[in-house]
Order: sequence, then structure tokens, then C-alpha cells
Amino acid sequence: MIDARPERSILNHFADGARSAAGITILATAALLVAATIDKGPYIIVNTIVTGGMWALMSMGLALVFGVMNIPHFAVGEFFMTGGLLAFFAVTPFNDFLSRHPQPFVSAISPLIAIFAAALGGYLLGVLSEYIIFRPLRKRSREQWVMNTFLLTLGISVFMINGHQLVFGTEFKGIVNYWNYPSLSIFGVYISFDRVFVFTFAVIVMAALGVFMKFARMGQAIRAVSQDETGALMVGIRLNKIHALTMGLSCGLGALAGACLLFMFPSYPTVGIGPLYNAWFVVIVVGLGNVAGTVVGGFIVALFQILTTVYIGEGYGFVVPSILIIIILIFKPSGIFGSPVRGVLDR
Amino acid sequence: MLLEVKDIDSGYGFLQVLWKVSLQVDEGEYVCLIGPNGAGKSTTLKTIIGLLAPIQGEIFFKGKPIGRLSADTICQLGISYISEETNLFTAMTVRENLTMGAFTVRDKTKRKENLDFVFELFPRLRERHNQLAGTMSGGERKMLAIGRGMMSAPTLLLVDEPSLGLAPQVTADVFRALDALRNRGMTLLLVEQNVTKTLKVTDRGYILEKGKIVLADRSQSLSQNEHVRKVFLGI
Repeated sequence: MIDARPERSILNHFADGARSAAGITILATAALLVAATIDKGPYIIVNTIVTGGMWALMSMGLALVFGVMNIPHFAVGEFFMTGGLLAFFAVTPFNDFLSRHPQPFVSAISPLIAIFAAALGGYLLGVLSEYIIFRPLRKRSREQWVMNTFLLTLGISVFMINGHQLVFGTEFKGIVNYWNYPSLSIFGVYISFDRVFVFTFAVIVMAALGVFMKFARMGQAIRAVSQDETGALMVGIRLNKIHALTMGLSCGLGALAGACLLFMFPSYPTVGIGPLYNAWFVVIVVGLGNVAGTVVGGFIVALFQILTTVYIGEGYGFVVPSILIIIILIFKPSGIFGSPVRGVLDR
Repeated sequence: MLLEVKDIDSGYGFLQVLWKVSLQVDEGEYVCLIGPNGAGKSTTLKTIIGLLAPIQGEIFFKGKPIGRLSADTICQLGISYISEETNLFTAMTVRENLTMGAFTVRDKTKRKENLDFVFELFPRLRERHNQLAGTMSGGERKMLAIGRGMMSAPTLLLVDEPSLGLAPQVTADVFRALDALRNRGMTLLLVEQNVTKTLKVTDRGYILEKGKIVLADRSQSLSQNEHVRKVFLGI
């Protein structure tokens, strides 16, 4: 067979990309970022990058459960809270021990242990929620599935918030920083080691997840289930196993974000609500169920939030992104990268 | 006897489609199930593969009851099902789709052998191994679906309407591929609307009407049968 399409140069592709909704949004955001940086200094870039990476991780989890299991997960914020809590309780004994017996090696790796423990805890809690909540419902009825699971996740969220309050109280459980290292100077800006670590770690986790989804047997199975559930059954994939894995991954990513950002968001019962909204903003901006798009979306939403806080005021942090979401839902409900969800004006 | 379907009733929820359907497939046979639209042919295959649970009756594969097993377990026992709508993973490449077909095969060299076999059967798939399944033509998708079904090296292949929506030329290609499989000793149970063609290539046939088996005979005798000639061949 001869490919009938004429040769296209990279420039052509670039021009096409720039004209698409995603291209316009990305270019506009980049321009905004540069303008704000010139106006207010480079810390805007730094904050965007640090929080954007984590919002991207959380929304990856959201996009995964939505794409694979059709569950709009509204309790991911509480897994963020749980992750912070677990990391706090894991790192505090280390810090107590280290204040008495300083040991550079232990102090270097103890935060890592705490973060991994938190992610693992989130993963296990996610698997547990699949086993005791979603699987029984799936067996009973798949009618009104999205609505029912939406209500269920809201229930989980309320349960976890109040559970936290009941057991651990309402006070802030946070730390000043994970590592007591001097700030790093990047382009003349001093950035704390924690922030550099958080960004690097987010990139590593995203890349690892990408490799897992593309090449690993289980990752491929997850993609297969999201694309055609019947087809997946026909080739012998156990849906139960994939559902548990996906829910675990999603909740684990939420907990991981909460643990990584513990120095910015101390754990208290309702700390997860802000991050939850952010993750949903990201998912709506890029299109429901689009996992790869969340990488870009995370940074876009983080930038908008930071710009709003800087230029308009702290209290408006959620107002401007919400307006953005409303505009996107009206004009491009399938998100800037597109997804099978279609809207009224999207013909 | 490789597959034995014994008096199954099946359907969707409260809607019963099949009434006491029985059929048998022996090792190495090429059997067809034909009938008018809505007779329950696809329902029969879906019940065998476990996508639907039979209301009553039992299904035996190699003598073991499989009527209550789920589709993923039945697939592991060695039955592959090629559905009407192909159920491909459209956002995955041809090669990834084939790899998923061998999901239950743990042995890496065996997977490679199966892949080579499928590529040999459908050279077109080898040419297009990096293309996304969703961007392929109808005929190529059918071939990919059959190839994916073959990747687990099944003992029995259930094929649901391979000619549906295909141009006559492409249909001929698909039938040629099924013939090739059959010549290599594969057991096939084929559901088809194209009765003339199907009765020419298969060994035995069952006629399904309104959810009941009304006739079962050798394909050659079926094509001479008064009832079949009147209803399906329009003679």
C-alpha cells in the first residue's frame, strides 16, 4: 500500500498544533507565565512548577479511575489528606530520633521512607475501597453507575474527613520541611530543597507511570480495559484485578501528592478539598479520562491559581479557575485535548 | 467431543432469547450456525464464551462444565471469541492489540511464536504493526480481531459474522483466512448471514430460528434442504 498523504514538514505539524485548542491554550499560558515572571519575578515559575507537578499527579489518578472504571472520584482529596497524615506520623518519630542522635544518612532518607509509606498506605486504602464499596455495587447493579459512584465517593470523603477529626482532631499536623538543607540557587532564585525534590519526584513518578502504562503487562491491560471492557474480558483479562489496581494507583497518587506537599499543606480534616478541586479543574480542562493531558493541565491550573493569588488576592484562588472551567465547559466541554465526552457546541 | 452445549436457555435480563439450544462441535470440525436476524446466533456464542450466563442448561468444554465461568476464565481454557463488533482496543497499535491477545500466555517464546504465526497468516498486519487499530479499515479490523483471537493459541475459535459490513472482495479474504486456520487443524464455530458461502465451506451446520435449533445436518445436505432453500437461499 502506498501512503497517499504528501510529506509534511515538522513546521507544518507545529503550525497545526499551535492552531488547535490545546496549542492555543498552551501558548497563551506560556505567554502569561513569561509576562508574569517579568512583572513579578521568577518565584511564580517556581511555584507553578512545584504545585503543578503534584496537581498533575493527582489528576492522573482521577483520569485513570474515570477512564478505566467510569468513577468520578470525589474522595481523592481525602486520600491527599491521608497521605499527608501518614507521612507526618512516619517522619515525626524519625525527626525525634534524629534530634537526639544526628545521623546525616538517616536524615537524608527518612523523608523518602515516609513518602513511600504514605503512597503505599494510600494504595492499600484504595484497593480496600474497591473491595468493600465499589465491587459489591458493581455486582448489584450497573444502572446509573456514574451517579451512584459519585454519591459513594462523596460519602467516602465525608467519612474520611470526620474520621480524621474524630481520631486525630482538627489541629494542623505538618512539618516545616523534610530536608534541612540550604536552599538551592537556580537562575538567581533561592528555592528550598524540598521544592526542588517535589518537582523532580513528580517528574520521575509521571515518567515511571508512563512507562508502566505503555510497556508493562498490567499497564497495557489497564489501557485495554479503558478502551474496551468486553474486548478485555475476551482476551482473558480479569476485570476485578484491573479495577483494584487502578483504584489503588489513583488513591496512591493522591496520597503521594499529599505526602510530598506536607510542608505546604499540613494535614487537617478538610485539607483535601482544595487539592481535590484543583485536580478536577485539571481533568476538566484537558478532557475527562485523558491521562497524558493531565501533565500539561496540572501546570496550567497551578499557574492560573498562583496568578490569581498574586494579582487579585488570596481569597480568589478558586474563583478565577472556576470561571475558566465554566468557559471551557460552555465552549469546549470535551476539554482542550479532546475526549469522547461531547458538548452542545462541539459538533 | 470438544464443545457440547446442552439445552441452554439464555437471554438478556428478563428477555429470554434462547430456548433449549443444544449443539456439539468435535475436534477439527468447521461448524456453522445460521439463521435469520434476531434468531439468537450471537447470543449463543456470547453464552458459550461467558459474556452471558445461561438461565438453564450446561455447556461442556473438553468434558468440563463451563456454563457458570466468566469470560476471562473461559478464554484461558482455550476458547477464543471474535465478536461481531470486533471489540478491538482502538487507541492501541496493531502490535499492542496482538500482545493483549496473548495476555494469558505467560511463556515469552510461545508469545513470539503465536505472533509470527498471526503475521504469517495476515501479512497486512505485519506491514501495519505500528498503526492504531482505530484507524484501520473494516476488513483490516476483522483480520486484526481474528489475529488477536489466535494469539492465545486457542483450541476452539468462535467467529461471529466475519462478513458483516465488508465489501465482497474483503469478505472473500476473511473466509480465506478462516480456511487457512481450518487447514491447520483449528476447530471453528462460525455464525454467518451469508448462507450460500458458509454452507459451501463448512462441514456441518445448525439452523437457528426464533431461539430454537430447527435443523442440524451436514452442510451439503443443508444446502439441498427444501426449508433452507426456501428461507435462506430464496430458491
